[in-house]
Amino acid sequence: MGEPQTDLVTASTAVAARSKRDGALDAALDRLAPGPALERQDTPDLHVTAVRRLPATPAQYAPFPPELDDRLTRTLHTRGIAQLYTHQAQAIDHALARRNVVVVTPTASGKTLCYNAPALHAILQDPASRALYLFPTKALAQDQLAELQTMCEAIAAGTGEQIGVFTYDGDTPQDARRTIRARAQLVLSNPDMVHSGILPHHPRWAKLFENLRYVIIDELHAYRGVFGSHLCNVLRRLQRICRHYGSDPVFLCSSATIANPKELAERLTGKPFEIVEHSGAPRGEKFFVFVNPPVVNHQLGIRRSYLSETRRVASEFLKRNLQLIVFAQSRLSTEILTTYLKDDFEDVPGAVERIRGYRGGYLPNRRREIEKGLREGAVRAVISTNALELGIDIGALDVSVMAGYPGTIAATWQRAGRAGRRASRSAAVMVASSAPLDQFVVRNPSYFFDASPERALIDPDNLHILVDHIKCAAFELPFTATESFGAHDVQEILALLAEQGLVHRTAASAAGGHGAPGESEHGTWTWTNESYPADAVSLRSVSSDNFVIVDTTREPRVIGETDFTSGPATLHAKAIYIVEGKLFQVEKFDFEGRKAFVREIDCDYYTDAITYDRVTIIDTFAERTPDRVCSHGEVHAVSRVVGFKKIKFYTNENVGSGELDLPEQQMHTTAYWLTIPAAVMGALPYAADDRRDGVVGLSFAMQQVAQLLLMCDRHDVGISLDAIDGDEKIFLYDNYPGGIGFSEPLFRMHDELVARTRDLIAACPCENGCPGCVGPVGDTGPLAKAAALRILDMLVQLSIASGVDASGLSAV
Amino acid sequence: MMEPRLSERLRGIIGSPAGTTVPAPAVNDAHAAGPGIHDLAALGGEWRDNCFVVERRKSAAAVHGREAVGVLADRLQQASADAPMLAGGTPAIPPFVFFDLETTGLSGGAGTYAFLVGCGWFDDGSFVTRQFLLTRFSDERALLSAVRSELARAGALVSFNGKSFDAPLLETRYLFHRLEWIGACLPHVDVLHPARRFWSPQGSTSAAGSCSLGALEQQVLAARRSGDIPGFEIPERYFRFVRSGDARPLAAVLEHNRLDLLSLAGLTARLLELVRSGPASARSAREALALGHVYTRSGFDTRARDAYAHAIAASRAPIGAFDAVKVDGLRALALALRRARQYEEAANCWQQLLEVRGCPPHIAREATDALAIHHEHRKRDLAAAKLFALRSLETGTDPARSDAARHRLARLDRKIALSAPLSSFLS
Repeated sequence: MGEPQTDLVTASTAVAARSKRDGALDAALDRLAPGPALERQDTPDLHVTAVRRLPATPAQYAPFPPELDDRLTRTLHTRGIAQLYTHQAQAIDHALARRNVVVVTPTASGKTLCYNAPALHAILQDPASRALYLFPTKALAQDQLAELQTMCEAIAAGTGEQIGVFTYDGDTPQDARRTIRARAQLVLSNPDMVHSGILPHHPRWAKLFENLRYVIIDELHAYRGVFGSHLCNVLRRLQRICRHYGSDPVFLCSSATIANPKELAERLTGKPFEIVEHSGAPRGEKFFVFVNPPVVNHQLGIRRSYLSETRRVASEFLKRNLQLIVFAQSRLSTEILTTYLKDDFEDVPGAVERIRGYRGGYLPNRRREIEKGLREGAVRAVISTNALELGIDIGALDVSVMAGYPGTIAATWQRAGRAGRRASRSAAVMVASSAPLDQFVVRNPSYFFDASPERALIDPDNLHILVDHIKCAAFELPFTATESFGAHDVQEILALLAEQGLVHRTAASAAGGHGAPGESEHGTWTWTNESYPADAVSLRSVSSDNFVIVDTTREPRVIGETDFTSGPATLHAKAIYIVEGKLFQVEKFDFEGRKAFVREIDCDYYTDAITYDRVTIIDTFAERTPDRVCSHGEVHAVSRVVGFKKIKFYTNENVGSGELDLPEQQMHTTAYWLTIPAAVMGALPYAADDRRDGVVGLSFAMQQVAQLLLMCDRHDVGISLDAIDGDEKIFLYDNYPGGIGFSEPLFRMHDELVARTRDLIAACPCENGCPGCVGPVGDTGPLAKAAALRILDMLVQLSIASGVDASGLSAV
Repeated sequence: MMEPRLSERLRGIIGSPAGTTVPAPAVNDAHAAGPGIHDLAALGGEWRDNCFVVERRKSAAAVHGREAVGVLADRLQQASADAPMLAGGTPAIPPFVFFDLETTGLSGGAGTYAFLVGCGWFDDGSFVTRQFLLTRFSDERALLSAVRSELARAGALVSFNGKSFDAPLLETRYLFHRLEWIGACLPHVDVLHPARRFWSPQGSTSAAGSCSLGALEQQVLAARRSGDIPGFEIPERYFRFVRSGDARPLAAVLEHNRLDLLSLAGLTARLLELVRSGPASARSAREALALGHVYTRSGFDTRARDAYAHAIAASRAPIGAFDAVKVDGLRALALALRRARQYEEAANCWQQLLEVRGCPPHIAREATDALAIHHEHRKRDLAAAKLFALRSLETGTDPARSDAARHRLARLDRKIALSAPLSSFLS
């Protein structure tokens, strides 16, 4: 609902400001990519690889649905909303007709009205009605709270109807909770709180569950992988409780552009959905630019730092007084870029801060102040992590600059959408880093611009996740002997939980003859344990469990963080840790405390961990016939950092080594694997070591491409190699116990995976391999690139020769 | 496709029954529901309206700790009019129903059950307990109705930590069954809070652990239990009964609950006796001090001052140790005297407070502030006032109070300058 939707920009001053901004933007773009910008050809090898123009689109309006409560329509009128955009009208129509709907529209298209209108309508019609909003973060809930409260105040002023809107999350004070439970008609919360604070206490929320009309799930696309699989089970529990209280809420979801929003909504909720995907909101003209920092060392394939490049790009816009947002990939690079730009543009200390950083870990007040500064224009540039990617209201900016490819097509569009005014031009610039994924995208612009975005995948029936939620559900409400929950046989699972004493089955015909009449004749499973099972289940995956790096050279200070899975390999004792060219040595690695203590050191080597990892096939679910080059199934993955090598800078000589004793990480999970038959290996015109290098390089590139295809984070997919009877196998396994549903899709996308991996390697301009394709030469050997390409070509020939087509993908 | 493997994979996740302490019940048969309930008779109860109730009566002559049950009953009866003083002013009137739950866990929430609701009251000198046992989960509704009728006749509920634990947990059970929780409209005396003030070793700063019912029962009532089961074993005993149907292990749980109820009644009787008969009946300085606070809160200022004076006189800290009771007592008495406009006596208390070894700085500061005011405005001894104000400035770090002290000093200096004879005397 952000801006009034009537076009009020008529004053001549506004027109002047607009054309001045457009002119400044044109000038900045011309500096970046000289020459006519319109419909320029892609140039993968140049500094600017692509400039695309997205034309302006006019608004499409629709009248308010006649059945919408007229107190609501009148209030919207007073707030300058005289009619709806077409997508809003469609979504509201569906919601009022009790059809579940998912709205897929760009940022700032008024999507919140799509779900706020039906929720407020329901409460105006019947004050007993309730709606539950789920946001992926507490900050988003706060942002929406402010907007809904303004709306409710306007309704109260016009009609005298008081509507209770409250957030209920981990920050809600204990003594306020009772009041909120009694008074909240609109409850703004998050999945974690519903999971551990609301569902287990449902008797105290009886009013909510009896009268629940709408469940609103904002930012639906955020719920993929482990988090999405958990949310699906939380929603199964929620619907179970609703059935108990006799309500049947309608789900209203909003999503950024992903390939399968309807499918995701249907999987998450288990209900059929309508989709609304054509935005009626107006959009100004937008330019999208891809920048690849130039190569500074051709032999090693090293490019200029993408952070420096981002600084240069951002400066072009800033010095023309355009307002911009810069997205960085980590907290650390956010701080670095903030420092750079402050140095460049904030010469007077104590003056209004025009350049601000923004990331998780800042206090809420500081965040609110920055958001306000952005809306009002006092803040000219904000450098943010993905914290501002989601729908926090910061107004519309002129330019969005991304330092590094955000990892997925969906997130890139989402970040680009942060720039874009309704009536004037805007720009989005993506500056690629040297990571393979970035290099692939920047050099293949059409992959990004013309392909559909990624599919969001979940696997709610992962047994680890499912079992955890069945425990929670049994705590909340006894299971009947005929009930189902998820795809597996819940009765069998309950029987096993009973063996552990967690639940107990009681039947009606117990001894004593005092059974109450009308009791279920099959009896029920009741929770018989002292624990509170929700406390043992965290909805966010383990990857949020980071190691921090503490520099103890002088006053101890945190200089960085590393995700959980790569911690042991990069932060083991005596490891060399590098930040911006500065070398540190790890003095103590505190695995339990998730800390590494480092000290500055002057040395001429870096360290490379030796990881022992091994994947053993437990069960093959499917294998492609007849060439048998790809399969998927269940595996056992073991990984342990056993030692490290010291590698001299520049010469890459091995100058020493050490042994390590770190805990082993092991799990059962699912995997996709590529088999390179012994015949293919034998036919490679290289020495045995070089062939092996080719396999290593190929696996390096495949991992990057898999990440691209799966819309997942870097550490969601693990990699392992093995040689079995002369066949080389490359395993891409789900880095989560039990698997999270990546393996089967990868198996189905095998041909695309191979083709894109080949594109990535073949199109890379380096000579013998670089971090952007098969890995640095020092790691993979001089012939890795050539051997990897040769292997891929031979696999494709093998497939053609054996006549594989889509039907070859069959289960065993 | 994966069904045959499901149970194997599940075992990898959930664990296999071997090696656990839980006996595996017969659940493979689709209609098996575990063995039937047996040996309920061992608990000595009966079925009333689908609820298993165990009723016991402890005669007036039976002894609990240092007193006979009949004596406790008498005390409670005599002092019942003073009960509101312990209940924060709520109109707690007889009959008092003591209540205490045994639960399947401590966390609360929909999956935590109150499997035993124990109620107790004095009847004609003896102590009667009525315990409602949840023999099957499906009978919970019947149990809650029975408990409701039981509590409906109470004038007040009396519990130990019941306001934070037992009442909310039971309320959740009622809400679960969409039944009204009668406790919401009954006065509730939670004995834990006064017990902390009267008996915990370090006053309100102490954790509940050292102020548990078991500890107080020994310390205050001199009662000993033999063969009592520790509280943490109770849920597991109940689960064992649920799974095996054998009620015998529950006998000890019921006995534990009955003793808790009786000790709760004993502690309540002791508290009410103290409140009724005043500081003369206090066994320690600490009891007298706590009594003073109870009186102050209820507006009985004379009785409060008397209690504080008793506490100060009785306090005997070991040589060299900090005497917290004395400090608290002197401070409370000084404030009470000031309210009663007995300024000279109040000043005397503040003065004594400054002489207590190890008096905490914030209290010393309060004393010097009070003495500065006293000397400036009442005694009109500006020099003395100035000395106390200077002391205040030295001892405190609270900026607001330091500002106030500086203001006072400046004013005192002006006043001193105006009264030349005094200033010449000072120099």
